[in-house]
Amino acid sequence: MNRTLLWRGLLILAVAVVCVALAYPPKKKINLGLDLQGGMHLVLQVHTEDALRAETDTDMARLIDLGKDKGAPGLQGRRTGDRQFTITAPTPEARDAASELVSKYLPRWQVQRQDESLVFTMTDQAAAEVRTSAVNQAKQTIDNRINAYGVTEPVIQAASGNRIVVQLPGVDDADRVRKLIKSTAFLEFRIVRVPKGGGGMASREELLAALGGSVPPDLEILEGDQRDRETQAVTGKYYYAVEKRRTVTGRDLSNARPGQGQFGQPIVEFTLKPAGAEAFGELTGKNVGSGLAIVLDGRVVSAPVVNSRISDRGQIEGGFTAKSAQDLSTVLRSGALPASITYLEERTVGPSLGRDAIRDGLRAGLLGTFLVMLAMVIYYHLSGVNAVLALVLNVLILFGGMGMFHSTLTLPGIAGVILTIGMAVDANVLVFERIREEMRAGRTVRSAIDLGFERAFTSIIDTHVTTVISALFLFQFGTGPIKGFAVTLIIGLIASIFTAVFVSRWLFDLVLSRRRVQRLSIGAKA
Amino acid sequence: MELFRDTNIDFMKYRKFWIILSLVLVLGGLYAIFGPHRLNMGIDFAGGTQMTLGFQQEPDLARLRRVFEREGMAAATIQRFGKAGDNQVLIKTTTSHQGEEGSRDKIVAALNREFNPGKTGLDLNLAGADALVGLLVKADPDRVAAQGQPAAIAHYNAVADAILKARHDAGLFKSLDSLARVPGVSPAVATTLQQQAHLGTFDVLGVESVGPQIGGELRRQGFLAVVMSMLGMLAYIWFRFELRFGIGAVMASLHDVVVTLLFFWAFGLEFNLTTIAAFLTLIGYSMNDTVVIFDRMRENMRKSRRKPLIEVMNDSINQTLSRTIMTSGLTFLSVVALLIWGGDVLRGFAFVMTVGIIVGTYSSIYVASPFALLWESLFGVGGRWGNKTLTPGRGGAPAERAESRIDRTTGGDVTPSTRQRPARRRA
Repeated sequence: MNRTLLWRGLLILAVAVVCVALAYPPKKKINLGLDLQGGMHLVLQVHTEDALRAETDTDMARLIDLGKDKGAPGLQGRRTGDRQFTITAPTPEARDAASELVSKYLPRWQVQRQDESLVFTMTDQAAAEVRTSAVNQAKQTIDNRINAYGVTEPVIQAASGNRIVVQLPGVDDADRVRKLIKSTAFLEFRIVRVPKGGGGMASREELLAALGGSVPPDLEILEGDQRDRETQAVTGKYYYAVEKRRTVTGRDLSNARPGQGQFGQPIVEFTLKPAGAEAFGELTGKNVGSGLAIVLDGRVVSAPVVNSRISDRGQIEGGFTAKSAQDLSTVLRSGALPASITYLEERTVGPSLGRDAIRDGLRAGLLGTFLVMLAMVIYYHLSGVNAVLALVLNVLILFGGMGMFHSTLTLPGIAGVILTIGMAVDANVLVFERIREEMRAGRTVRSAIDLGFERAFTSIIDTHVTTVISALFLFQFGTGPIKGFAVTLIIGLIASIFTAVFVSRWLFDLVLSRRRVQRLSIGAKA
Repeated sequence: MELFRDTNIDFMKYRKFWIILSLVLVLGGLYAIFGPHRLNMGIDFAGGTQMTLGFQQEPDLARLRRVFEREGMAAATIQRFGKAGDNQVLIKTTTSHQGEEGSRDKIVAALNREFNPGKTGLDLNLAGADALVGLLVKADPDRVAAQGQPAAIAHYNAVADAILKARHDAGLFKSLDSLARVPGVSPAVATTLQQQAHLGTFDVLGVESVGPQIGGELRRQGFLAVVMSMLGMLAYIWFRFELRFGIGAVMASLHDVVVTLLFFWAFGLEFNLTTIAAFLTLIGYSMNDTVVIFDRMRENMRKSRRKPLIEVMNDSINQTLSRTIMTSGLTFLSVVALLIWGGDVLRGFAFVMTVGIIVGTYSSIYVASPFALLWESLFGVGGRWGNKTLTPGRGGAPAERAESRIDRTTGGDVTPSTRQRPARRRA
């Protein structure tokens, strides 16, 4: 064996070994897509205008507060858009002072005078920042919640258009995941003014009557479930008139965990951060004997009576099951979502469906590949064996490449594999047919092989490059499944060029180097 | 063994017939795409909710349909799925006005009323881990409550996971007795569940909901990806060969997509994201086939510059015929295997490829080359709308002459331009 032949052989061996190492064990190295292994795929829309409104409210309140101390008392504000609010001032001096204050302390607002009032609009850049940070914060929050849920290798990505893509392999408890992700988990503690002494009222009318017919400006009516004390079953609704002021919210929590109440029912225990604890102590200290509404996402979960000043810890009761108490603890710990979320796309594939798809697809694919190999050997004899070896190596490199790039095998990916195998076979067929042609033209085996490879080479390159170019475009412009197809195709085609041109040629050369070959076993009549 | 040795078939002879045949098929395909009886769009593109359900017994489709009609979801498509013994059903509803959130719950509730009437409490075939753990922690059959709440939850979490895994493996539970055989489930747990839970007659195996907004985006993006990739291929072939070949190849690919869509439509198959992958594969395959033949033409044009293009085309197709048949045959073999044994999920894909390989092979011979010829006669040097201002010395032929070349089957008097082009390209 001559030296270059040896080196080429070693290179091929090295490639094969590396690819085996990259792809073995396949269960660990090759990720299966959700369509094959089962799991959930979600596309969430983050309603970032919620975050904008919250920022607008905060800044407006801040301006009014600032005005009290800094020469513009008596300002009145009203939010007039997602990122716009209008301020009316009692005097022209106060108005000018307010305008000054904004440019000094709230630089992201643009001021416009409209008659006697001031209209503040958030700059485009600031609004974009708020939106981006809302999406990132939502992503982080969802990430925390999913991690607490215990999913192996979840994918949580921000996508364009204020979206978040969540992929949870192996999860199919759709209801639970949906609740876990979606609950904004905005927790507030509010003092109940009516009814005094805890509890709620069974109807809104009754409550309104107790309030004297109308709701005072500093109060609002919230509702919650009425529950049986023992069984925790919902027996009706309760209405509460609570203060609008929210001194302590979920942001002040330092920890939350599930626990057991006095009747053994699941509850959520929480502790507060120092600053929150101080505020909470003041709130409860001033309102001993009143109800304290624990409000989650705008609904009263429970409204216990404040018996004494509470500072840094407390508990939430509210008809939880063991799991829902655990989930609520999780979402409270992970923080509130900065904006509400809706589901644009939801796919749950049960593991049995995916398994059937793999089993059937694999069986049919293997059978098809076997038939192709058999036909190659029948039609091209020993040269066909050469092609079969090249094909096996091709598939090996393909999976090695997928292992290396941590790409995910999906159904469309399998389509890419099939096209790759088709093109790899085609490359061999091109070469063999060319060799046969050259032999018919009366050339020796040696020169027929040389010419066959040489002339088929341009065809092989052209077909492969054409397809790689299209795959690159598909990768660039396509979404999920189309991308998966493109990735396997690109890896497979590179492997195909290597095996059809380099490996197959080496095998021919190897045979030729051993003995003087008069006849080539390629299935052609001499 | 050797088939197709030294064939000499005049493929271009009846090219008018083939072009007309193709045009008819393409018109049919366009009718399938834009006509009144639209393509069966899957929820990926149309939006909607699709559920796969497993039933204990052979499901009665007529009864299912009545349920959906009663619920005002008459547009639902209901069909069998999977193999005969699996008792699986695929239900597809169109986009609702409120969006897709909650569609699943609505469907499950309706089916529960119909198929599990009077049963209350936990349905072991539908329950998620949450409800199951809740029930077990409360009943505490394994007496672990003394170890504290978190330990109890952890314990029953593991039990619930084992039960759900057993359900997934089996598709759904057929009887409560099988619970006792699930590893990790103590006899006490099995007894508790047999007393406090029941088995519904169906299980949800998979749910897919796509909002109308996403459907529209997927449609646009898929379309953009295909168009861009085709333009990419056109550019490469233009660069490597000539523009007319690029046009021919792209035309052939478009032809294959549209004609295959016609068959796809005629068989009422569902067009979804997996099908897009199939059509992409088909484009790749067809392009491959065409490029091989073009490659041979380029080689032959260099070898014998005096030969008319049409003869070169015929020779090249004949010379590559053996490889065309071999490759197509082999690929055909594997996709037919996929069509027969590949299961329901891959059926659409396999169908596209099976039809596509036949159409693609045909088009490489009868569409791509004639189109290259047609392009040349229309826009080529001296063509009808082509560049007519060339100096006579460089071989600018009058339009009539270029046309007569196309009309003749053997093209005896090819214009000089055709002969010179490859030479120029090679230089």
